Amino acid sequence: MSNANINKEDIAALLPKVAETIADALGCDAANVKPDASLINDLGAESIDFLDIVFRLERAFKVKIPRGKIVEEARGSLSESEFENGGVLTPAGEARLKEFLSEVPPDRFKSPMKAAEIPRLFTTETFCKMVIRQQRAAGGSGQPA
Amino acid sequence: MDHHFRAFSFVDRITAIEGGRRIRGHYAIPAGIDSFSPSLVGEAIGQIAAWAAMAAVDFTHRPVAGIVGGIDLTSTVRPGQRLELSADLDGVDTSAIAYSGTAQVEGSPVLRLERCVGPMVPVEEFDDPQALRERFALLSAAGAAPGAFGGMCPLIAHRGGGEPGRSVRATLELPATASFFSDHFPRRPVFPGSLLVDQNLQLVAALAAEIPPPDNGGRWVARRLTGLKLRSFIPPGETLEFEARLVERSAGSATVKVETRRGTRLTGTATILLGMEAYP
Repeated sequence: MSNANINKEDIAALLPKVAETIADALGCDAANVKPDASLINDLGAESIDFLDIVFRLERAFKVKIPRGKIVEEARGSLSESEFENGGVLTPAGEARLKEFLSEVPPDRFKSPMKAAEIPRLFTTETFCKMVIRQQRAAGGSGQPA
Repeated sequence: MDHHFRAFSFVDRITAIEGGRRIRGHYAIPAGIDSFSPSLVGEAIGQIAAWAAMAAVDFTHRPVAGIVGGIDLTSTVRPGQRLELSADLDGVDTSAIAYSGTAQVEGSPVLRLERCVGPMVPVEEFDDPQALRERFALLSAAGAAPGAFGGMCPLIAHRGGGEPGRSVRATLELPATASFFSDHFPRRPVFPGSLLVDQNLQLVAALAAEIPPPDNGGRWVARRLTGLKLRSFIPPGETLEFEARLVERSAGSATVKVETRRGTRLTGTATILLGMEAYP
């Protein structure tokens, strides 16, 4: 599933509810959940928190989010071996990831980069885009539920 | 003695799995044990949900405790009673399970788990997949012989620190070996989340005894636990630090937040709501 045609207005429409959902899951103030905040590095999220956030977003937006598939989605049309080699992203993989996570400031991408480190890049906007993609896949408008 | 399916297993029989999403069964609390805590009732509900989840993925993965949206602590149970267990799976795949479940005694609910989410982990790291398959077949047919559970070994946390009536702290040194570790889990022992909840509830009870009593003059009792999140596996031999802190008190209710740490790492969080003890 691509990010095609997800614009800033689409993201802005969902942002307050996504930020509130993330804040509830992490037990922090929604004001701290900035659009470009890294959930791991800035908000202290751990893997269990991602699971919590995904289930909360599913309930809040009435969508089904394929858990653990975000890295697979990031790969797009690249095969696994084209995307990564021995757990480290290939140059093509890095380029594809930057395109997929276009909301993430460029200076946060490392090179070389381990595939296991990809979740460190996820921001609040990443989760907004995730919801929009699923809403559109389900035939929805990409607007708040 | 082989403790597998004995020392920390709380489903005697699976009576129905409907569409792979609803599972029912029962567990007879052995009459000879001293007590059976609400946390173990919650564990029994989690275990019956786990059987449905493992069967759904052909025993390649099993769930572990992660998040519980809410636990309604309706009433206590006694040795000798039979728990009627049910769980409804909202979703399960090889990454996670989402479910809610209930335990009843003689038709009356005693404990309900709501909005539980657990990561699914590869079975082979934790247990013998074939042994689990065979156990599931036994539970789904004639059932296991009841009475295998011999009670919990005491886990005594040492209280120290805190502010009277506002917060309490305690330290628990986990044993390096214990029968429950052999069952939870045989290939990778992990301190059960339900026993961590048990420690949380005990600490909150200690704090509740220091909080000015509710307006009816009675005692505070734990009514509901919300927002439980277990952040990491806890291996045997670890030292856990607990802190329970009163965050709100009104005439008839009080809210306590509990944190569990392993070293500097936050391992568990929960909020426990206290209410007035009902007079008979």
